[in-house]
Amino acid sequence: MRPASELNAKPRRVRHPERVILFFVSGQLFAISAEAVQEIRSTDSLAGAAIEIEDSELPQVRHIVERTRHIYYVVNACLHFGLPVERPALVLILRYLRVAVLVDRIERMAEISAIYRLPPAFDGDERRWYRGLAYLDDTVVPVIDPAGFLQSSDFERLDPMAKSMLAQSELQGAAQA
Amino acid sequence: MSATETSGQPSFVILQVGNRRFALPSEAVVELAPPVRLHPFPHTSPFIAGVIVRRGRIVPVYDAASVLLGRSSSAQRFYLVARRRAGSASDLAAIPVNGECELASGNMLAPEADHPAWVAGTLSLDDESVDVLDFGALTMAERAASESNRAELPS
Repeated sequence: MRPASELNAKPRRVRHPERVILFFVSGQLFAISAEAVQEIRSTDSLAGAAIEIEDSELPQVRHIVERTRHIYYVVNACLHFGLPVERPALVLILRYLRVAVLVDRIERMAEISAIYRLPPAFDGDERRWYRGLAYLDDTVVPVIDPAGFLQSSDFERLDPMAKSMLAQSELQGAAQA
Repeated sequence: MSATETSGQPSFVILQVGNRRFALPSEAVVELAPPVRLHPFPHTSPFIAGVIVRRGRIVPVYDAASVLLGRSSSAQRFYLVARRRAGSASDLAAIPVNGECELASGNMLAPEADHPAWVAGTLSLDDESVDVLDFGALTMAERAASESNRAELPS
């Protein structure tokens, strides 16, 4: 047996306590840096602006939204994380990335002082999904990497289709006017 | 945990998974953790049930019963935390056990010819022959089984 003191490995410390938003997707709690989120909207408030993608190559992306002359891809977090699909009520519109994420509900804001690295045993998609794990109120919470929702290759596949859809939508709008 | 023998022979931790007993070299074993909370979260790594938190460290928990017994077992409530060798590095991992562990010593015998990769040898205890686990190979065996299943799935 090895001494218990050997286990006292320290987690990776973040320089300053980091503000995170805790939210639920299909019963699972996640954390995302508050800095990474530009806006939180209800799905109802975006419903009119969203354009459905027919035959999307990425099953987790079924809608686009145009905001401030940029196309945002709406990622269903249930499908992204392989969780049972539930009816999302909120959209997290990310900062710096043209991604909006459908989630169930916001739990609260919190501060985390440390992010634990994912143990090496985890070597699947989760290494791209998460920055690491946080330990909050006796619960291990995955801390999301916003860049993990869509990769650059995904944007390359989606952009031409989205531009064509927007052009078609504008033509239809002009014809109706 | 109780000690049944102490001698100059190598020592092993005898653990129980389901209704079978297995042995692990004691130098690989870090601790027998109490029934702490298992934290599951979404991931795609095969046969990992979640993580537990032990002494400020996050430890992945492997569903060992599905490899050792061919089925998951919900009867295991304790966790055996052991050092796992992965290439040149080593890390900690845990497997659920039922909490009945004991120390035994003896000489490990070579495994049978058609032994699974996770059997490092056998240990003779009274009238019982117990498989000695290769903890690293056990976790890799779970991965290999998963990859094999994936390869058999229709595209």
